[in-house]
Amino acid sequence: MSTAARTQPAATLTTGVRGGTRLGYALQAEWTKLRTVSGPAWLLLGAAALTIAVSTAAVGATRCPHGMICPVDTTKLSLTGVQFGQAVVAILAVLVISNEYSTGMIRVTLAAMPGRHAVLAAKAILVAALVLAAGAVAVFGSVLAGHLILPGHGFTSARGFHPVWLSYGPTLRAASGSVLYLALIALLSLGVAVVVRDSAVAIGTVLALLYLFPILLAFIGNAHWQHRLERWTPTVAGLTIQDTTGLRSLAITPWAGLGVLALWAAGALLAGGLAFRLRDA
Amino acid sequence: MHATIEVTGLRKRFGPTLALDGMSFTVQPGQVTGFVGPNGAGKSTTMRVILGLDAPDEGQALVNGQTYGSLRHPMRVIGSLLDAGALQPSRSARNHLLWLARSQGLKAERVNEVIAQAGLQGVARRRAGGYSLGMRQRLGIAGAMLGNPAAIMLDEPFNGMDPEGIVWMRGFLRGLAAEGRAVLVSSHLMSELQDTADHLVVVGRGRVIADTTVASLLAAASGDRVTLRTSAQPEATTVLENAGATVAATGTDAMTISGLPAERVVALLSGRAVPFSEVSAHRATLEQAYMELTRDAVEFRPAGFDAAEAEEVGR
Amino acid sequence: MTTQTTAQPQPGATTDDSPRGTGFGGLLRAEWTKFRSVRGWVIGMLLAVVLMVFIGVFAAANSSIGCQINGGPPKTGKACVPAIPHGPGGEVVSDSFSFVHQPLTGNGSITARVTSMTGEHADLTGRPVQVGNGPGMVPGLAPWSKAGIIIKQGTRPGSAYAAMMVTGLNGVRMQYDYTQDTPGMPGKVSAARPRWLRLTRSGDTITGYDSADGVHWTRVGTARLSGLPATVRIGMFATSPGDVVTQNSFGGSSNQGGPSQATGVFDHVSLTPAVAGGTWAGTAIGGGGPAGAGPGGGPSGTPFTRAGGTFTVTGSGDIAPVTPGPGSGYPTVTVEQSLAGAFLGLIAIVVVAAMFFTAEYRRGLIRTTLAATPRRGAVLAAKAVVIGAVAFVTGLIAAVISVAVGVPKEENQGQVLLTVPALTEARVIVGTAAVLAVAAVFAIALGAVLRRSAAAITVAVVTVVLPFLLAGLNIVPSGVGAWLLRLTPTAGLAIQQSIPRYPQVTSVLSPVRGYYPLSPYAGFAVLCLWAAAALGLAFVLFRRRDA
Repeated sequence: MSTAARTQPAATLTTGVRGGTRLGYALQAEWTKLRTVSGPAWLLLGAAALTIAVSTAAVGATRCPHGMICPVDTTKLSLTGVQFGQAVVAILAVLVISNEYSTGMIRVTLAAMPGRHAVLAAKAILVAALVLAAGAVAVFGSVLAGHLILPGHGFTSARGFHPVWLSYGPTLRAASGSVLYLALIALLSLGVAVVVRDSAVAIGTVLALLYLFPILLAFIGNAHWQHRLERWTPTVAGLTIQDTTGLRSLAITPWAGLGVLALWAAGALLAGGLAFRLRDA
Repeated sequence: MHATIEVTGLRKRFGPTLALDGMSFTVQPGQVTGFVGPNGAGKSTTMRVILGLDAPDEGQALVNGQTYGSLRHPMRVIGSLLDAGALQPSRSARNHLLWLARSQGLKAERVNEVIAQAGLQGVARRRAGGYSLGMRQRLGIAGAMLGNPAAIMLDEPFNGMDPEGIVWMRGFLRGLAAEGRAVLVSSHLMSELQDTADHLVVVGRGRVIADTTVASLLAAASGDRVTLRTSAQPEATTVLENAGATVAATGTDAMTISGLPAERVVALLSGRAVPFSEVSAHRATLEQAYMELTRDAVEFRPAGFDAAEAEEVGR
Repeated sequence: MTTQTTAQPQPGATTDDSPRGTGFGGLLRAEWTKFRSVRGWVIGMLLAVVLMVFIGVFAAANSSIGCQINGGPPKTGKACVPAIPHGPGGEVVSDSFSFVHQPLTGNGSITARVTSMTGEHADLTGRPVQVGNGPGMVPGLAPWSKAGIIIKQGTRPGSAYAAMMVTGLNGVRMQYDYTQDTPGMPGKVSAARPRWLRLTRSGDTITGYDSADGVHWTRVGTARLSGLPATVRIGMFATSPGDVVTQNSFGGSSNQGGPSQATGVFDHVSLTPAVAGGTWAGTAIGGGGPAGAGPGGGPSGTPFTRAGGTFTVTGSGDIAPVTPGPGSGYPTVTVEQSLAGAFLGLIAIVVVAAMFFTAEYRRGLIRTTLAATPRRGAVLAAKAVVIGAVAFVTGLIAAVISVAVGVPKEENQGQVLLTVPALTEARVIVGTAAVLAVAAVFAIALGAVLRRSAAAITVAVVTVVLPFLLAGLNIVPSGVGAWLLRLTPTAGLAIQQSIPRYPQVTSVLSPVRGYYPLSPYAGFAVLCLWAAAALGLAFVLFRRRDA
């Protein structure tokens, strides 16, 4: 580094300075981080592609032959892929923070941006925004697949099936809610990852959170506990947002179910924020 | 604008280990301050506390009179490099600097400037994961210089550098100090700092052992001992002890005198016609001075080895 | 400088404590030391045990069964469990049917012609179910409605028997001792196409025949009922299992069930040797009389009517082993239900196993490892053996505790444990541990292939746990689900299936109910193949790639 090329210390950098708030700078920095490695883009693309592919396969494999009663929630069936897409979304969210811990870059980040809440908030905002965008594509693709395929498989309005399209209120709710669901799963995963730090443990924890409760629900016979699990676990309650039939028998209403997931996500982020703030980097 | 780094009474405990035990010192602008001590003396912990990465149990660290966390654009005040390997391997060097620039509200042009200064133009678009340790050090220094800060703090910057790199680093650090910046450089090898540092903060077991200029440290370590070679030891001893010196024989014709400067020894012996073949003032090296200071503060001393041989491999 | 040369061994001399140098055993010890010295991994294994036991016992937390017997005081739990018949093989069985019988002493045979079998079952189209010939019942037979002739040890439910019968959809069958089933003539019975049935006793051996015309007979099968007393009951029976319709839909399967009954019409009934003045007695075995004839279909109904030589027998219930799921009349529980926590244990163990390898790459430890042992294949093998053994022991401890705590808890709540032979129970418990061990080897191989813990863990969890979720909760159509359970590593969990699947019992094919499409060992073999394939790939890549 030649001395001649160096500027005098401090107060002389006005030429290269941009304005903004602390969160604004953090957002710009974190956005630059996200877009300058290929991992997040691939994971988002993968989440959308997987969601659409699985949804399409699910509606393609389901038929309602003549003369049979088919207790199928066509909207929910069309959104099957969200069950898979959420795993990819969760991994994306975990890696956004745990990669920094595994490389030690978290210290560089926090030396550059000592406002830890701003860093975490920036990460959360960006992850949520990206997942909302990818989720919108994924959900729209899934709904489109259901809209195009299901009527040909016997799920016609003549037989009492509501249309799988966004003009139908409950389907619109289920679709938009599924996009929000994916974003909330991402935030929940981010919060867990901040607390756990290690990517392997974080991914194990998050996948267990996503998939364990539905399995447990299938195993336990206690109606009391079943009801509790249906009401209060993140994925089971959250996915009620996809229900458009049999709403009366649900343990929790769709939006309230999504609200439960939002509480989980908020709790995880809160715990993450607290740990992030209090712990040494 | 000049910046200082002030560390006052830091204490920090990791489980059973007391990492910092009342660490206090000040880094002044316009000079290179060497931060030396054996492994585990608390150098890196102190630097992490200065950067707000670790919270001290007691005491505080201020940069320009402010805590690091309250700085709006900390890298425009103090640039730092703790671990050159701490980067996402799949991101290019340029993009690594770019996100740092964004976090400080700096424009992208500034990134190009520091890339040029660090001599990374040819490789800036390559994955940082493929860099050698020396290249990562240069990238880290480019990052530290990004905000053109008035203070610079580097943890073991000589680690992994080839001789050419060490020469470059010395010139670079001298240049920063000459521009009026405050420079804090840690090392566990005094020799690395011999021709670089103006001021030394010697630490051991979490506290400051010596906070002094290089010149006075050398003088203190040398004391005023004089080595004398003479064939007439008894006479010389009598003469010098009468003049108030302490004399110790170190061989059949060699002895060490303390309490009298060399010129006085020559004058006394010449005056009493005591023959002698050599009188020399003892000159300690910085390394010896350091060994002397830290002898009690070395944390890990393998059996059968001197502390000088215990070389840090990296933490 | 003070140099303690005395402590310094000569170069080239080793301080090896084993004179033959470090072989594979030394490598194992090195890897075991690596494993146990990372506190997080040991905690991970302990966590796996705690979670498995907790989930297993939690899943066992069914509601206590409540009941009120004959107007008595309300009871709960074990007091409500009815006397459960156990078959000659020790398994829990259903043994309820309408029985028209006479005693038979010594050898002999019975022949009868079935001219008709009709039935009715609950209307499962959503209207409320009502028992009896009223609204709510519709005509129709269940696939395994039965009417035919039977030789039975006695009238005690659960006693040995052999029977020839016509069925709702499965043609003529010979069945004996609940679990055994042999097909005879196909097709439905009708007045135009009657079925002749014959059973012959000779000592302990009973042989079944069928015929379309009563002239040309075909031997269907032979049953050996050891210990059959000299005097047995012989006669005609009819029964029909509760009808279950499973609707598979997104997010779960719904089972609708209701009672059904079958009526068989018999003529040309002959006994050899003919008993002079022998009278036919009608008994509703195990409460298996006509549905709705008495309160709750109890034994007060008339099981048969006779008009000259024509007998009309009506009954409901089943003569078959009890299987888990909605088909049986009792709240049942299986051994493996206490092992539901295996999933959580699986995730924890997979995480640790993947990290056991990928951690070597994180900080370049792999170079130290390979400098110490350049034989890479041996390093990988040692790691796989260590993690497999650790996972096995962890799984075994957790499985034993889960079953020991969970099963009695279920029984105390009034659940009927579907007992299995001790060897089967051992297979379920040890098999669960083995599944965890092989899954750990699978995960460590993935770690070696992918070198990144996040990727390895995701692949391992998604391939091992997700298929169970998709198939078990009917998120995918059941055909797809069955293939997932055959082809993916999840197939290994079939080793937990304690109750075999009987073709003569309508049951819901779902891993949640303990039913896998593959047999226990075949399923386990599929998991082993996956682990072996991953290990093989890891072996090749690990040797070829730069460390």
